[in-house]
Amino acid sequence: MRQSRRLTLIAALIVVGFIGTIAWTYFSDRPQPLETPLYLARPVEETGAINRVTGIYLNYRLLDTLLEVLVFSVAILGIQHYLARSKAVRLPRLMESEVVRTAVSLLSPLAFLLSLFFVLFGHLSPGGGFASGVIAASGLLYVGIALGMKEAEQRLSPKRLGRVEKGVLLLLIAYVLFPVLLGRTPLTDLLPRGTPGHLLSGGSILIYNLLIASKVLIGAWIAIVSFAQHRGEL
Amino acid sequence: MAAVIAWILFGMGVLGLVLRRDLVIKLLALGLVNSSAILFLVSLGDRPGAVSPIEVPGLQAPLADPLPQALVLSAIVVNFAILALALVFVMILVERYHTTDSIRIEQEVEKEKDEEEEMPCR
Repeated sequence: MRQSRRLTLIAALIVVGFIGTIAWTYFSDRPQPLETPLYLARPVEETGAINRVTGIYLNYRLLDTLLEVLVFSVAILGIQHYLARSKAVRLPRLMESEVVRTAVSLLSPLAFLLSLFFVLFGHLSPGGGFASGVIAASGLLYVGIALGMKEAEQRLSPKRLGRVEKGVLLLLIAYVLFPVLLGRTPLTDLLPRGTPGHLLSGGSILIYNLLIASKVLIGAWIAIVSFAQHRGEL
Repeated sequence: MAAVIAWILFGMGVLGLVLRRDLVIKLLALGLVNSSAILFLVSLGDRPGAVSPIEVPGLQAPLADPLPQALVLSAIVVNFAILALALVFVMILVERYHTTDSIRIEQEVEKEKDEEEEMPCR
């Protein structure tokens, strides 16, 4: 008992020391924010997206985003691989109560609608491919809860969808590498920028958002089904 | 202000990570540490009176720096990957040892090691 108390004290001291160091550097040496931050100094027409964050992560720093998509894919692969080793629980064909099913049938279309809005307007307002994919996956989770995971799993088989997911990833990489065939640098955006603020603006950003959203949606659904298969009914 | 909240969350997360014995709680604390890092980075992009970095025509207010917000996206995705994979490993451990208590799992592993050493070589 005494030892655990001493451990708590040491841990608390280390944490306080660490935070103190960060706070000290934060308040003393921090470079002052620029009058106009680096990327805001560039004109909007360069990316065509009025949402500057989207403009950065799907245009200037597209390579980072591609690596993120890869990290996501590896995580989904890891979940599938390691959960395949543990024994699967046979899902009972169970239906939720009428209340849950009614609530879910009201909520899931809303989730899908919101996800569609986020993916289409990702370059005009807050949102984007990742957020939209996760929202749509939560909509699918609602459907899974309403129908029972067994039924949902049979209708949207993760095995078949896994192939689609890898296809989307390959399509994304192929799309990004396509400019090489025309003698340009890879990751170059070939589409016209359009008028900033319009739906069809921002070059390829809309296409990237659609591809990333479908990838995240399928990946998250595979993760949900794997977790459900190996731990009984949701 | 947001930075101070981020430090407090960071401290809570690290303390939970070190002191709590339950593996699932440890994972939640890891998520808290990650959230605090995200909050801290986003707070660095703030400027006095700044609004979110979306260029609306006719807007006079200064925009927040979009760079940290764009980079934080990687942190969110990596956090998702780490938490999901760690949860899978916790599930495998629970299936084998039937507990989420890290200290009891350590004791079980030690016991298994001792039993292996006592077994005569074939």
